Amino acid sequence: MKKVIVAIMALVFGAVNAQEVANDSVKSISIDSLQQAINLHQLKFDALNEQISPLQEQVDKMAKLKISGYIQAQFETYDTWNAGIHGVSPVTGTAPITNSFSIRRARVKFTYEALDGVKFVLCPNFEIDRVRLTDVYVMLNDRWTNTFSLWIGLFNRPTYEVEFSSASREFAERSLFTRILYPQERDQGAKLEANFMTKYEIPLKLQVAVLNGNFATGSAANQVKDVDNSKDVMARAVYSLKFPSKGLGIDFGGLGYFGNNEVITQTATPAIFTDENGNKFTPKVGDNLKKEWYGAEMQVYYDFLGGTSFKTEYVRGTLSGFKAADFPTQVNTLFTNNNKVRDIEGYYLSLIKNVGKDHMLSIRYDVFDPNTKKSGNEVATIDDLKFKDWTFAYQYFFDENIKIMLSYTMPLNEKSANPAITNPDFANVDHIDNTLTLRFQAKF
Amino acid sequence: MKTTKLKAALIVMVVMGIGFSFTAINKVTVKGSDTMVILSQKWAEVYMKKNPGASIQVTGGGSGVGLAALINGSTDIANSSRPIKTSEVEKLKARYNTMGVEIPCAKDGLSIYLNKANPVSSLTLKQIGQIFAGKITNWKEVGGADASIKLYGRESSSGTFGFFKDNVVKTDFSPSCQTLPGTAAIVNAVKKDRNSIGYGGAAYAEGVKDCGVKKDDKSPAILPTAATIKSKTYPITRYLYMYLKSKPTGETKAFIDWILSPAGQGLIEEVGYYPLK
Repeated sequence: MKKVIVAIMALVFGAVNAQEVANDSVKSISIDSLQQAINLHQLKFDALNEQISPLQEQVDKMAKLKISGYIQAQFETYDTWNAGIHGVSPVTGTAPITNSFSIRRARVKFTYEALDGVKFVLCPNFEIDRVRLTDVYVMLNDRWTNTFSLWIGLFNRPTYEVEFSSASREFAERSLFTRILYPQERDQGAKLEANFMTKYEIPLKLQVAVLNGNFATGSAANQVKDVDNSKDVMARAVYSLKFPSKGLGIDFGGLGYFGNNEVITQTATPAIFTDENGNKFTPKVGDNLKKEWYGAEMQVYYDFLGGTSFKTEYVRGTLSGFKAADFPTQVNTLFTNNNKVRDIEGYYLSLIKNVGKDHMLSIRYDVFDPNTKKSGNEVATIDDLKFKDWTFAYQYFFDENIKIMLSYTMPLNEKSANPAITNPDFANVDHIDNTLTLRFQAKF
Repeated sequence: MKTTKLKAALIVMVVMGIGFSFTAINKVTVKGSDTMVILSQKWAEVYMKKNPGASIQVTGGGSGVGLAALINGSTDIANSSRPIKTSEVEKLKARYNTMGVEIPCAKDGLSIYLNKANPVSSLTLKQIGQIFAGKITNWKEVGGADASIKLYGRESSSGTFGFFKDNVVKTDFSPSCQTLPGTAAIVNAVKKDRNSIGYGGAAYAEGVKDCGVKKDDKSPAILPTAATIKSKTYPITRYLYMYLKSKPTGETKAFIDWILSPAGQGLIEEVGYYPLK
């Protein structure tokens, strides 16, 4: 019996043991299959990784290209049509055009940052009848101190109002003296900028630019290369003060423009010029006529019931003007002082107030005197009349991309009873030339 | 006459525009730094419990994204783990005519994460910069094993990326630095790879080891601890900021005042950062 019991127990033990062995073998298979599944997924992940890596490289390259731009479409009503501003002269003998829709800007800016500190910028402006390049430059930043940057190409001349984009500007147009002294705002050349804030925490910015100096004078074909050998030099310094506890920031600085207009041709009967004092002279080919001025600027930002700013710039110096008929290559159509060298002065004062998040009100008084040596009845030509412009503007920021601007400009010219002024529009009267602009801007 | 009617119509449009835009919404939106999301959400949650009428909406996206949202008007507060850039202040000046308002609200230390099996335990700031710039590529160059260094970092929109680049790397990151979406992902990657190195908030260092950081060859290695970060003896210490367009008012002011009060500052260490005082 004992033998039978031992035999049964041995059998049962064997069966139990066999079951455990069977269980173990199932577990072993399960782990292997799990391992296989993991390996299979690992292979799939590796394959995906291989596929994604080149795509990632492409995405990284694409991320170096930034595209921005804006469109400004507007409706304007004018008291009179001013061909100099609006670009199209009315047909003689027809009724003047007093209102118009127009596309003011349609710009797309491509910025490619090849490496940290190397930027290529290309910004075409699309117009109804042509495409014009506005900004085209290479910018090299110094990688070691993050302080200096070198710009080469076509870029904004370094002044506050010129560099402040028209997409952000509080008024429909820049002040009169900026438009006259810096036609089309840009010029071709090289610019060295030093910003001591990043590395040294000194809020000082210095800019020195060497420019062809003839951009936007004469026809568009002139803009390809310089028309003379002389170059213009601009230098500007801006220092920023911050008083965070008072919500106050003040930027102030100065600039100098050192250039000249070289007489590159003369007419068969040599054209006679007048100098700053009204004395006549006949310049020879190769003579340099003065084009230099000094200026100062200040922008004050104050956080009082929302943002408030006061901005001003002042310039005083000498500018020479060429007559379109005699010197078509060099004429600045906005400086109508034909064949004259003149002491000039210009400034603006503007006050801007944000109301809530979406509204901005602004007012500007700007002055340009094309001949500081004469005033009142001494002024014997329209070209020498001083202009004082008032501009009132309101902006509504519809969303982050769209804003609507209503701007009203009232140019007031100096009155001169000098009988030499015979044009009835200006003879001892203020020329009626106010403009109301309703502008829609989409920015991306 | 036509012109008069036109001008009148324009004025009516403007008045209507003003009327519609003054609709009051009593909600505060906070956007920006991913590093600060948990902290900011904690603040919002506790503040809303104490002030049932308040609505604080917190989202991340990165410091750069938050500051861009502040500039374009789509957020009231931008959280940033780096100081605002000059170019961003210029945009605030152009759009809002203010310099912006900077409010430091907490302190943080950036840890250098190493795998626990890595024999290297300390590095100088210069060595860390050179490693992430790709100038040092093998651990043996800094006293470790003969193995290539695997780099993990954040996306360029991240304030942590910006702060680390400006203060440690000081040049371009190595192209081989793999960007990951968030500090937790970096910690996870370093945990798995013994030859890897990453950076991120000191609070996230779980399952990895913190690398001691030396200011230079002669300085002692400092680990990112509460004491060294608070006292700023740890070399990679930073402030966490909130930025506003202009001085806060209403609910935004109340929320910020509360964050800077002992009640708000008291919550900071719970989520792994350090109070201002």
